[in-house]
Amino acid sequence: MNVTVPWREFICRACGHIYNEKKGDPDSGIAPGTRFEDIPNDWLCPLCGVTKADFVPYDRAASEKARQSACASAPVLARSRVLGRARDHDVVIIGGGTAAWRTAEAIRQVSEYLSIAIVAACDAHRYDKPMLSVAFARGLTPAGMIKESGAAAAARLCVDLFPRTSATSITAARSELRTTRGSFHYRHLVLAHGARSILPPGLTPGHCWRINHLDHYARFCAALEGGRKHVLMVGAGLIGAELANDLALGNHRVTLIDVADRPLARLVKDGAVTEALFAAWKSLPIEFIGGITISTSEKIAVGYRVTLSNGTVLHPDMIVVAAGLQTPDRLSRSAGLEWNNGIVVNPVSLRTCLPGIYAIGDCASIAGKVSRFIEPIARQALTIASQIHGDKLLPYADLPLPVRVKTTSYPITVR
Amino acid sequence: MTQADLAVDASSKAQPVHPLIASVRDIARNQLAGQVQAIDRGLYPADVLRKLAAAGAMSAHLNAPHGHGDYALAIQAMAEVAKVCGATGFMMWCQAVCGLYMQEASASKLAGQPLSDHVAGKRLGGTALSNPMKTYAQIESFLLQAKPVDGGYRVNGALPWVSNLKRDHYCGAIATLEGSPGREMMFLLRCDAPGMTLRQCPSFSGMEGTGTYALHLSDYFVPQHEVIADPAKPLIKRIRAAFVMLQCGIAAGVIQGAIDSMWAVEPQLGHVNQYLEDRPDTLQAELDELLARVMKLAATPCNDSDEFFIEVLDARAHGAELSLRAAQSALLHQGARGYLMDSEVQRRVRESHFVAIVTPAIKHLRSEIARLSQEEMPA
Repeated sequence: MNVTVPWREFICRACGHIYNEKKGDPDSGIAPGTRFEDIPNDWLCPLCGVTKADFVPYDRAASEKARQSACASAPVLARSRVLGRARDHDVVIIGGGTAAWRTAEAIRQVSEYLSIAIVAACDAHRYDKPMLSVAFARGLTPAGMIKESGAAAAARLCVDLFPRTSATSITAARSELRTTRGSFHYRHLVLAHGARSILPPGLTPGHCWRINHLDHYARFCAALEGGRKHVLMVGAGLIGAELANDLALGNHRVTLIDVADRPLARLVKDGAVTEALFAAWKSLPIEFIGGITISTSEKIAVGYRVTLSNGTVLHPDMIVVAAGLQTPDRLSRSAGLEWNNGIVVNPVSLRTCLPGIYAIGDCASIAGKVSRFIEPIARQALTIASQIHGDKLLPYADLPLPVRVKTTSYPITVR
Repeated sequence: MTQADLAVDASSKAQPVHPLIASVRDIARNQLAGQVQAIDRGLYPADVLRKLAAAGAMSAHLNAPHGHGDYALAIQAMAEVAKVCGATGFMMWCQAVCGLYMQEASASKLAGQPLSDHVAGKRLGGTALSNPMKTYAQIESFLLQAKPVDGGYRVNGALPWVSNLKRDHYCGAIATLEGSPGREMMFLLRCDAPGMTLRQCPSFSGMEGTGTYALHLSDYFVPQHEVIADPAKPLIKRIRAAFVMLQCGIAAGVIQGAIDSMWAVEPQLGHVNQYLEDRPDTLQAELDELLARVMKLAATPCNDSDEFFIEVLDARAHGAELSLRAAQSALLHQGARGYLMDSEVQRRVRESHFVAIVTPAIKHLRSEIARLSQEEMPA
C-alpha cells in the first residue's frame, strides 16, 4: 500500500457516488486502501451500476468552490428568519429593479409591520438604469454603478429578498405565485418585472447584446475590452442614440442603423435639432444609415457578417440591439390579467383587473400606453402603497413628461 | 365539507367517459389492482402492460393510424392507471415516449412494422434519455459515445437506471458522435443485441417492478435503419415538451389516488381529520385546476418555443409538488391503517417521492426554468 500519496476520491459521472481510496468498496470486494487504478476494470458503481470508466477524479475543493459560486444568490430573509416560514407574505413584489424597490420603500413608509417579499430574476442590486447608456464615456464600471447591494437594501427595508428567482406562474384564485424557489402566497401582489428588448427579424439572440440590465452591461463591457471595436447599433431611438454616442466617445467605431431615415425620429420632430446632433457627431466615429432593416446576420470567424436591406454588407465585431422593449406576458396570461401592450391597470389606482394585484413601471399599461421612464415610478409606488396599507387612495396621475436625451455630445430635451 | 360531498367519487363526474378510459379503468381495476403490492416489490407486470397497449392506452398521442394525436387522452389514460399503481403508470409513460421516438424516426423503417408491434403491445420499450436530457439542461455530461463505421455506428459506454426493460425490449438512447463536437445521434437500443448487457441495480425503496437496469454497451452496433435522429438536437427540441407533459399523467394519478384514500376514511375519521391541512376537497380543487392547465398545454404538444416549454416544466413541477403533499396528507388522514406495509397509502408516499425525483426532478425542473428564463446573449 502506497501511503505517501494522499488518498484520492473519484466520482461517478452518472449518479455522483464517490469512491474513496481509503475506504475502498468492501461490499464489492475492494479492500480499504485500494488505489483507483488497482480496481479491476469489471468493477461497477455500487450505486447505479455503470463502469469504472465512468468515474472521474473528484476535486472536493473545486466542487465546493463551484457550489458556492452557484449558490451566491441565497435568499436574504431579513424578516422571516426561517426559509420554511418565508412563503406567506402580505406583499409579494416581482422584480428587482427601481419599480420593485420603490414599491417596497413606499410600503415601509406607511407600515413597518407588513411582511414583504421581493422575487427578483437578478441580484436586485440598486443602480440607476438610465446611467447604462452614458456610463462608458464617464469611466463608470458596472460594479461602481451599484449604489446599494440587493442584500443591503433588503436588510434596510426588512424585506425577504429572493434573488436569481424566476416567477413562473400566478394562480389568482389561491393567491399563489409559483417560482423557481417554490411557491409564495400573497395578500397583495405587485408586478414590477419590467420589459425585455425586442429582437428585430434577421437577428439571432446569441449574437446580439441588449443593454437593459446591469448584468448584461457588465458582460458587454467585458466583451468590449481588448482594443477598439466596430459596433453595429441596431435602433437609433433614445437608448440606441445614447449608447452610440457613449461608445463613440470611448473611441469605438459605431455604425448606427434604424428603419427611420434619421436618429430619434419618433422623439424629435424638429429637423434642425437632428442636424445639430449630426454636426456634434461629425467628430465622432459614428456612421448613421437610415431607412434600413437587417436582411441576414451570421457569425463568422471574427465577428459577424450582416447584410442590410439595401444590400450593404457590414462586418461588425459586436451587434447591439436597442429596438425598443416589450413586456413579457407569460405571468399575466397565467393569472388571467387583462393585456393591452402591457398589463392593463386602472389609470388612477394602478390595480389590474384582479383584486389584490397591481402593476408598476415598464410592465404596466395605461390605456394601451406603456411608460419606459423612471419619473412616474416613485409616484406609482406611493399610489399602490396607499391601497395596500391606508384608508385613503393616493391617486396616480399620468402626466406628460419632458424627455432628456443624454446624447452627451449634444444633449436634447423634448417637451 | 358536508356529508353530501363525501358521496362524490372524483373519478365518476358527470361527463361521459371516453371508451379508451373505460377500457383502461377496467384493466386497472380487474387485472392490475390485485398485483400492485407484488409490482411494488419487484414483479414486472408484462401482461397488464401488453393489455393496456393493445387497448390503445399508450398510443393515443401518436399520429393516425396508431393514435389520434390526442395528448390529453394519453395523459388521462396514464392517470387512470397511476391512480391504482404509480409504477405501472410510469411504465406506460416509458412505452408512450418510446413510441413517439419511433414515430419520429428519420429511418422510416422504425415507424412501420416495429411501431405497429410497439403500439399493439407485442413489443415493449423504454427511454434512456435521462442522462441526455440532463446534459442538454447543462446538469450532466453524455455517457454514451458513438463512432461512425460502415453501415452505422459503434457505441460504447454505460447508463444507469433505465426502466421498462427486459431482455427482449428496447429503448431510445442518445450518444455523442466521435469527431463531431456538439453533435449527438439518437438510436433504438435493443437489449438483446450483441454488445449490450443489462445489469441489476441495487434495490429501490419502492416501484421495484419497473424493469429498471443499468445498461452496458461494448462496441454495440447501430445499423442505419435503427437511427432515430442524427443530429439528435432538432428532434429533442421538437419532442421535449411532449416528453415532459406526458409525465403529468403519472402525477395526476398518484394525486387522485391519494385524494380518494382520504375520502375513504372520511366517514369514520372526518371528525379528527378536519384538523389537518390539505384536506381532500382543497387538494381536489388544486388538482382539477392543474389538470385544466395540463389539458390546455396538451392541445399544442408540438410547440417548440422556450416560453411554452417553461409552462410545461412548471405544470410538471406543480404535479410533483402536489403529489408529495397529497400522498403525505393521505397518510395523515388514514393514520395507522395507512402505515401498514401493505397499505396503498404508504406505497403511494414512495410513489410520490418517485414523481418528485425521476428525471426531470423538481430541482431539475426549476433549474431548467431558471436557465430558460434568462435572455440569451453572446457568450
